[in-house]
Amino acid sequence: MCAIFKRETKGYFTSMIGYVLVGAMLGFIGLYFAANNLIYGSPDFATTLNSTVIVLLFVLPALTMRSFADERRNKTDQLLLTSPVSIPGIVLGKYFAQLVVFCVPVAVACLMPLLLNSFGNVSLVSAYSAILAYLLLGGACIAVGTYISALTENQILAYLGTFGLLLVSFLMQGIKSLFTTGNTLALIVFGILLAVVAVIVGLACKSLTVGCGVFCGGAVVLVLVFQLRAAWLLTAFNAILGGLSLFVPFQNFIGGMFDVTGILYYLSVIALFLFLTGQALEKRRWN
Amino acid sequence: MIEVNHLTKRYGNHCAVEDISFTVADGCIYGLLGPNGAGKSTTMNVLTGYISATEGTVKIDGHDILEEPKQAKSCIGYLPEQPPLYTDMTVREYLLFVAELKGVRKKAARKENVEQAMARTALTDMADRLIRNLSKGYRQRVGIAGALLGDPKLIILDEPTVGLDPAQMIEIRSLIHDLGKTHTVILSSHILSEVQAVCDQVLIIAHGKLVAQGTPEELAGKLAAQGAISATAMGSREAVLAAAGSVPGLANVQLTGEKGNEVSFTAASAAGADLRGALSEALAAAGCPVLSLSNQSISLEDVFLQLTEAAPEAAQATETQETMDTLEAAEAQTAPETVEPATSGEAPETPAAPASEAENKEGE
Repeated sequence: MCAIFKRETKGYFTSMIGYVLVGAMLGFIGLYFAANNLIYGSPDFATTLNSTVIVLLFVLPALTMRSFADERRNKTDQLLLTSPVSIPGIVLGKYFAQLVVFCVPVAVACLMPLLLNSFGNVSLVSAYSAILAYLLLGGACIAVGTYISALTENQILAYLGTFGLLLVSFLMQGIKSLFTTGNTLALIVFGILLAVVAVIVGLACKSLTVGCGVFCGGAVVLVLVFQLRAAWLLTAFNAILGGLSLFVPFQNFIGGMFDVTGILYYLSVIALFLFLTGQALEKRRWN
Repeated sequence: MIEVNHLTKRYGNHCAVEDISFTVADGCIYGLLGPNGAGKSTTMNVLTGYISATEGTVKIDGHDILEEPKQAKSCIGYLPEQPPLYTDMTVREYLLFVAELKGVRKKAARKENVEQAMARTALTDMADRLIRNLSKGYRQRVGIAGALLGDPKLIILDEPTVGLDPAQMIEIRSLIHDLGKTHTVILSSHILSEVQAVCDQVLIIAHGKLVAQGTPEELAGKLAAQGAISATAMGSREAVLAAAGSVPGLANVQLTGEKGNEVSFTAASAAGADLRGALSEALAAAGCPVLSLSNQSISLEDVFLQLTEAAPEAAQATETQETMDTLEAAEAQTAPETVEPATSGEAPETPAAPASEAENKEGE
């Protein structure tokens, strides 16, 4: 793991990509810092960070796109997978290297509240908790990108896939607000989801009866819930959409609140996607 | 060192390797021989744990590759078909990285290990060049150097001499020869002479199956036991064939062409026996003047080709001897000029083989 981490980190800074990413992030953070905090005079650093969140959508996929896709295309994964290194070791080594690249602009951003503090009264606790959340948000995006990169050997596909997924997640808050009413709609959406799951299960087990069984069982439960506690469906639906919006927990930090659930949410997203990355690598060996 | 039991690898419906079993003893050089697409690389990828077998088990030094991957993989140095190189690193950086990956913990030990490997593969002059700027031959050497790092007990090389010039080929072969003294080496090749030159044991794979196994001498002895005579004589077909058939030691007389009253045929003779004189006398006695007569001895390359091409029919034949029978039949059909038609179509590499064999002799 250590060897891979060192090599990857060095690799990002011998090629352009590391510098471009650090430069772009610093440029945008600096721009909003200058406009918001220095010129306008706001002591709120969290809002500044929040303005740069959209930049992550564009920049982080560029960081993660090559991690596994490139290895696979150049067949260098053959070296890693035949070395006495476990798959979690490989995934973590690569992940932490990407995280280190992202840490560089965040580390520089850590200086900014201190700079503000010398001119007036700034809540350092809220500023640094926002920076921590920002780091975790970036870490979660990188984990998603690493997973997508492990699925393909085409870097451009990996970029577009990660970007698309993060974009949907970014817009999820807006999408969620479209579904404030309509239990029937929730029922339909759950019905479609159930059908998809049933098809996947049926294909995985190579059995029509299992697929149909899953669908029928699920449909009975859905209809029962709809008849008895219709509001549950909508609540569950909204909760699921809420869980998919990666960027919302970060926004909770803006008001100066230290949101432990948000931290846990990011950590679990990171763990989930790194686990999935390991599974994707493992699965490829089995075809 | 290695125990392979009933190894099978399927890609969807395509069976790349089917039910291969063999064991590899310590301290020998093994050659995996087979035409392109025979399943050599797949077998090696399974041995090294890069891909998983559909069925069967692989044990490296007593460790199952799936159950104890770390222990098993730390015994192996592997050079895949395409050397896995990070082209944005220099040779030294790359080798230091590989050494660390292989678990050489101490920095000084890593450095020494890398210097040794570079010296062995004659890379010291290139140590600070970017791999991106190296030629194919040097890249191949970097790959081999990578396989030597961490001092693994077992070295697996997938077509190590592909893309090298003749001088480099000889160097690499003598390197493999040296390695064989201290390590167990498995190498794959589609060049017979190469395997013959360096290997103690040969496994021939065709169409995903193990078709023959033994020392090169054994295989050569068994496989090259065939001689063949092709001849053209004047006379009626029946008379000529009857005369040829009457020669003791000559078997499998086959008609290959008839033009006017010129009859061409081939016949198989036992090993080492020159039956041209006897055949000529027999034909003359039958009143059929001999127009041409030549002795064809089958080279090892032809035998290898026929063995690997005949494999679908010979699928059940695990014993070399059984395969030999099929071989005889196949050979008799494809006579008289077995060499050209058989080689040109199926295996473009073979024309190069005799040349490399010659170099070999020079090398030795």
